[in-house]
Amino acid sequence: RLDGKFVELLQTVLCSSKCPEQIQVLCAAILREMSPCNDLSLSCDEIQDTKLLSLVSSVLLVQGNKKAEVSAVGQRIVKVLERRLPEGQSAQYLLPVLSNVITISPESLSEEHTNVVSKKMADWLRYASIQQGVAQPSGGFFSNPRTRQPGPVTEVDGAIATDFFTVLSVGQYYTQDQWLNVQAFSMLRNWLLCYGGKGLKTPNSDDKSGMDRSVMSVVSTTSTSSRLLPPKERLREKAFEYCQRLIEQSNRRPLKKDDGDLQKACLIEAVTIMDIICKQDSSYVYRAVSFLKVLHGRICADATYARALLPIAQFFLNHSKMSAVDSNAIYKHLFTDIPAQLFHNPSLAFEFVQFCKDNSQLFTETSSIFRQSFPNLFKFLAWNSPPLISEFVDLLPFLLDAGTAVEIFHLLLDLPCLTAALDIQLRSAALPTSERAASDPGVQPATCLEAFRHPLYKSVFQYLLRTKSAPEDAPERLIPLRQLLGSLASSPRVMQCAETVPVLLELFFRVVAEFADGQLINQLVVLLLQRSDQLYEIPAFKDDVYRVLSSQLVMLCKLHPALIVELSKEILEFSGTVSNIQNKEAIFTHVVWAIGEYMSVSYDKRCTVEQINRFFETLEAMLFEITQLRPLASTPSYAPRAISVLMATLTKLAARSQDLIPRVSMFLSKMRTFVQSPAVTSVYCEEDLEEILIRATELMNLLKMPSVAQFVFTPPVDVASTRFQREVNDSLPFALRIVTRLLEPAPGFMP
Amino acid sequence: RQVASQCRLLQSSSGRPSSPQIPQLPDDPISLQDAPGGLFQLPPGDPFPERVTVAWLSVFALAFALVCDPQENLSLAEITLRRLAPRLLVSLRLLGPGADVLLRPETADVLLDRLLPHGQMLFLNERFLQAVDREV
Repeated sequence: RLDGKFVELLQTVLCSSKCPEQIQVLCAAILREMSPCNDLSLSCDEIQDTKLLSLVSSVLLVQGNKKAEVSAVGQRIVKVLERRLPEGQSAQYLLPVLSNVITISPESLSEEHTNVVSKKMADWLRYASIQQGVAQPSGGFFSNPRTRQPGPVTEVDGAIATDFFTVLSVGQYYTQDQWLNVQAFSMLRNWLLCYGGKGLKTPNSDDKSGMDRSVMSVVSTTSTSSRLLPPKERLREKAFEYCQRLIEQSNRRPLKKDDGDLQKACLIEAVTIMDIICKQDSSYVYRAVSFLKVLHGRICADATYARALLPIAQFFLNHSKMSAVDSNAIYKHLFTDIPAQLFHNPSLAFEFVQFCKDNSQLFTETSSIFRQSFPNLFKFLAWNSPPLISEFVDLLPFLLDAGTAVEIFHLLLDLPCLTAALDIQLRSAALPTSERAASDPGVQPATCLEAFRHPLYKSVFQYLLRTKSAPEDAPERLIPLRQLLGSLASSPRVMQCAETVPVLLELFFRVVAEFADGQLINQLVVLLLQRSDQLYEIPAFKDDVYRVLSSQLVMLCKLHPALIVELSKEILEFSGTVSNIQNKEAIFTHVVWAIGEYMSVSYDKRCTVEQINRFFETLEAMLFEITQLRPLASTPSYAPRAISVLMATLTKLAARSQDLIPRVSMFLSKMRTFVQSPAVTSVYCEEDLEEILIRATELMNLLKMPSVAQFVFTPPVDVASTRFQREVNDSLPFALRIVTRLLEPAPGFMP
Repeated sequence: RQVASQCRLLQSSSGRPSSPQIPQLPDDPISLQDAPGGLFQLPPGDPFPERVTVAWLSVFALAFALVCDPQENLSLAEITLRRLAPRLLVSLRLLGPGADVLLRPETADVLLDRLLPHGQMLFLNERFLQAVDREV
């Protein structure tokens, strides 16, 4: 907190007319930094100097508006702008302040005020001088008594300007009103959004309301009678003409390269402002539509203008219904060609995805070009993962439904492959044409780059790089390609993409859970198990994916417990493959847990004793396999929790088919030998073995009371629903522990 | 902080090693055409109360960020950033040793006041920009 006296000093220095500008700027900066400041007694009411007014305003506007400083500043500025300014003063310092005022608090200006400004803005935009300015005499040794007669302003390509002045007009020196022209256009969008529509619009209000309330202009809008228009409508007319002129000016080839960038920014701004104007007054739509269609035709093939296609498309989305124009070609080009060709342009990628988010309702229509193009959209994410992952987290729910879920599932798992393929596509396009000959079909390609043009792999690449949804195509086609792309698996960009996949997968399942029916869930589980073998070989990627898939599998089982019975064939096969315990431990463990949990009549009446026995036998064989005692040298180690969960599941199954109890009990009793054998103690750690033994003992004890075991392991369905959330190792119910304690009252379980 | 991570991630994805050494301060204005940069969004609350879009640019070991409302013209933001950065670099001598940036806030303020007055981005063509430079 600043001392009151210090604040007073700063204020005095700031407002003193003899103070050098740098010191004034410094004082203002200090006061701003220490805001809000209760001791401030600055006021803009008496200040005549526009530069000082601007500085003082900058301090006042950050005080938190407790004393209505914002309105005071706003009204003062409008007052100053209204009258003719004294010699040497320029209004150019005030317009940015005004822009700030209306952003903070649009209500601070009354309609009378806004009319004053609208009137001035229309003049500044339309009637700035088209003669160049003269050099300001600066004094010192370069002052020239002969002032050269300034010539007319030129266009960016050097041609003499024949129409009114705009931001794309070029001169050696600029006049005051030309400065105001630049300032006015720079704040035009903001101004129109706030005051151009019917009634007051605050920056936070829904944009769509402007469209609903657009009014047919009662007064004619042709230029000749525009002087009769009220200020708001007149500004609208001038603004529209300004935008048209800018769009025409953007067609010229600039002499200075950087002016080209500005041309494109102006183009985007002009189209956006036209869109706003049309929302506020639909009589402009007819004029705009033909104009913008021509513009689109002009720029759609030019990659450097791609970003401008977005506001054009937005315009047609907003207004084409009114004008009965068929704009489908525009959308098709935007969604089919642009992502495929320009995915590597990060700014375009960002803005494209924003466009999709802003128009998310488009994706809900199943047959629309927008919905069909989702494979194309993912190219942006695959290439530019870090800035776009949070945007895709927002967008993904709109792309997902029963029709697209399966294809998107595959797409997400193959997203890093897509990154690799895009890389190859770019490198292939960069090759000189001479090196692009198609490879000999008889010879296997030596590199990925060769494979891109190889007859065997070409169509697979094209499938991966498709621009439209293709649900019928079999993703198994990608298996050889995934192997081939293995050389790119450690490239930084691929790895960055791989990191986004677990996040998106979790979101995928969360959204799918809301609408999936039993059939879709079954389909996803089967695919989940299949794809666990078909993943891109990136370090850590597979582990992360397995982790997500296994927890989501449990979630799907909870939603549709009958799937264990319905998919018993696939699940038996998966849980009966020994290599799965090593390679996909997380998934294996959760599958086995789910079997124990849901293979029961209480979840599906079709669950027969034969099925339980079949599962039992398979899992028993697995447990036997991994707990076999072998000669010292060759004992492989398996995840301890896999052993635990196998024991637990076998016990649960036995509790439901009690003929199996003796078999399990005998097996469990052998676990002591297993745990104590030297071959085993050398590959497993002590705590894990202890834990295994404890678990085995608990389970054995439980089986000594079969009816209790049955109750514990087959509770009513709603009780079971809380259990799956815990880690698999701890999934044995609390009751189990109680029972064990009852049987072995002595403290400690280790004999 | 967010800009730094985005910058590092972008650089690592293109496979270019980040060069920590600061080169000799060149006399001509640095061309920033190839300087890495990008756009990303920050959700509300982290750290700004509303959702914002950030345009960033990195020059050697420095990064510049321009925070925009989501509805602002992002092409213009990138242009503005690419103009501000070299001018700030030169006038504050940011690349030289012992740059006392924090002791000279008014230098930065004067520049910002001309190119980004009250946070307003300006549609300035190259000649206009020269006129602004003359004024500073």
